Amino acid sequence: MGHLRRLTAKVADAAARAALAEAHRREWAFVLAATVRVARDIDLAEECVQDAYVAALDAWTRQGVPRSPGAWLTTAARRRALDALRRDRTLRSKLPLLVEPAQEPEPGGRGAIDEIGDDRLALIFTCCHPALAVEAQVALTLRLLCGLSTAEIARAFLVSEATMAARVTRAKKKISAARIPYRVPGAAELPDRLDAALTVVHLLYTTGHAAPAGLAWSARTWSSGPSPWPGCSAG
Amino acid sequence: MAEYAILIYEDASAYVDPSPEVWRQTMEAHTRFPEQVADKGGKITGGKALQSAGTATTVRSDVVTDGPFADTKEALGGFYLIEARDLDHALEIAKLCPAPFGGVEVRPVWDTSGG
Repeated sequence: MGHLRRLTAKVADAAARAALAEAHRREWAFVLAATVRVARDIDLAEECVQDAYVAALDAWTRQGVPRSPGAWLTTAARRRALDALRRDRTLRSKLPLLVEPAQEPEPGGRGAIDEIGDDRLALIFTCCHPALAVEAQVALTLRLLCGLSTAEIARAFLVSEATMAARVTRAKKKISAARIPYRVPGAAELPDRLDAALTVVHLLYTTGHAAPAGLAWSARTWSSGPSPWPGCSAG
Repeated sequence: MAEYAILIYEDASAYVDPSPEVWRQTMEAHTRFPEQVADKGGKITGGKALQSAGTATTVRSDVVTDGPFADTKEALGGFYLIEARDLDHALEIAKLCPAPFGGVEVRPVWDTSGG
C-alpha cells in the first residue's frame, strides 16, 4: 500500500514537473507582462512570477495540474504582487511608478489571458524604448519575455555573465528611475518606435533556431510546436 | 507627475560673438518654450541660463582650478526643471527645448523628500 502511494506521488510529481516546464516555456512572457501591470515594477514582478512557479510545483503535485496553467500562474503571481504592495505601503510610495494605472487591477478577476496580448506588447515597447541602449533592449527582452537566464544571454552576446548582469540591472534601474512608461505607444509615435520592437521580435525567433545554451544546435523548446506568439510562425 | 532636468549642452563658441539675428531667435525660442510646455500638459518649475564655461571654476577636494569640470566642445549652458508624466512625456517636451548649437540631456530628478 505504501509502495503504491509512493508510486502515485512519483507520477504526480513527474506530471507537475512536465506541466511546469511546459508552462515556463509557453507562458512566461504572458505571466510576467500581466504581473508587471499590477506590480508596476519589473524587479518585483519578476520575483512574484518566480515565486508563483515555485508554488505551482508544490500545488500541482498535490492537487493536480490545473486546466489552464497560465491563468493559474498569472493569478498567483498577481496576488503576490498585490500582497507585496499592500504589505509595504511605505515602500510603495517610494517605488518610482512604472505605470500610470489605467484601472485598478482585479486580482484573479476576469481571465488574465484575454488582456495579456496587449500587456506583452506593452512590455516589449518598454524593453525596446529608444532611451535604452540597443544591446540592453535586446538583452532585457530576451530576459523578460523569453525567460532566458542572464548566462544564456551573455553567451549569445559573447560577453561575460557579470557584464551582462550589469547591463540588465542598469537598464532595469533606468526604466524605473526615469519612468519609462509601460504602454503601447500611440499611432503618432509608432513610426519611431516600431523598428526596435520588430528587431527584437525577429531576434526572439533567431534565438528559437539556435540553442543559446546546451549541446544541441537547435533549441527545440523554442522552434518546435505551435507558436506561443499568435499570428507568427516559429518556423 | 515626475520631475526631470533638461540640461542644455551647446557649442559655446556659437554664443561668443553671435549675430543679433541669432541672438534674437534664440531668446525668442526660450521665451516661447514655457508656453509650449504648458500646451503639452507639462510644467516648468525652474531653470537658469549659465555664463560661459570659460567663467567656471572647479573644486575637487580642496584644490581649486580654473575651468569647467570637463573641458568639452559642447558645454552645459543652462537647464530647465520640468514636471512630466513619464519619460516619453519629458522627451516630447525636451524636443521643443531650444538648443540650436547642440542638444539636451534629460535626467530624472531624484526625489529625496522621503515621502
